[in-house]
Amino acid sequence: MDYKYIEQLLERYWACETSLKEEQILRTFFQQEDVPAHLMAYKAVFDVQQEQAEASLGEDFDARMLQIVDEQSTVNSQPLTGWRRRLRPLYQAAGLVALILTIGMAAQQSFDGSEKTEQTQYAEADSMESPVQELAPLPEQQAALAAEQLDSLNLTR
Amino acid sequence: MKKISFRDDVLPMKNRLYRLALRITLNPAEAEDAVQDTLIKVWEHREEWERIESIEAYAHTICRNIALDMAGKAGHGNVQLNEELRVKNEESSMFNVQCSMFNEFEQKERLSLVKKIMDTLPEVQRSIMELRDIEGKTYQEIGNILKLSESQVKVYLHRARTSIRQQVDKIEKYGL
Repeated sequence: MDYKYIEQLLERYWACETSLKEEQILRTFFQQEDVPAHLMAYKAVFDVQQEQAEASLGEDFDARMLQIVDEQSTVNSQPLTGWRRRLRPLYQAAGLVALILTIGMAAQQSFDGSEKTEQTQYAEADSMESPVQELAPLPEQQAALAAEQLDSLNLTR
Repeated sequence: MKKISFRDDVLPMKNRLYRLALRITLNPAEAEDAVQDTLIKVWEHREEWERIESIEAYAHTICRNIALDMAGKAGHGNVQLNEELRVKNEESSMFNVQCSMFNEFEQKERLSLVKKIMDTLPEVQRSIMELRDIEGKTYQEIGNILKLSESQVKVYLHRARTSIRQQVDKIEKYGL
């Protein structure tokens, strides 16, 4: 077998005149087992390259790296939590407003319900105080009296 | 421009970075640390990714600087490592005298000698050889990583290949 081509390539390889493609041809050539004796010494050079090309990091490195990066991104998003922290009084205020509104609405609802009778209105206003309930008829009577007076006024006119 | 993701674009560079770091530090544990530091640094600069021309060249440059830093600090340790290697090689070459009839063993011996020759080259030459012969990068790409011109890269590579060739020839001529 003629090795002139390989020898030429090799010569150009030492002179850094080979292209990446030609260097790949050399590498493939030297990968085979039956390299002629006079080129065996150079085979070692390419074998070492081949060996060095196999050096790599395992999967555990990936896992560790991704974990580090995850931690870093949570550290870096702290301004976001800070921003949230600054908004906390607003949340509290909103909550308070919501609470007041709910109570107000509930109060209004019971107020609306009791409007039909002034008696219960009083009862609502002074929550559960029974004396008021007893007094309640009094203003009713007064109101009736006033209405009667008004009626009589209208009649006279 | 394509959106760069850490998982899909940065992390897959780990082995290429590792081999470069290994060529510089000549120490697997240090090389691994260098890659980890590199990836963290690249991640920390993720806001700039869109503006970087080549994330690959960028990561390789960072990795080389970190590895150089480590090799500089641990310079003494590496000398020791080389020294250990030399002693080991001497021991095995004495052994080799007795077994040189076995071609397979001879080739193994050649391999360890070539490795030794490569490891004693100056760092720039080692890094360039790694990027060219193992990663298959163009002179321009290597220049981008090492902040050198294409012709400078070629000069260094030429020196590296020439000295390897000379030493290999010498060994063949005068024996292992």
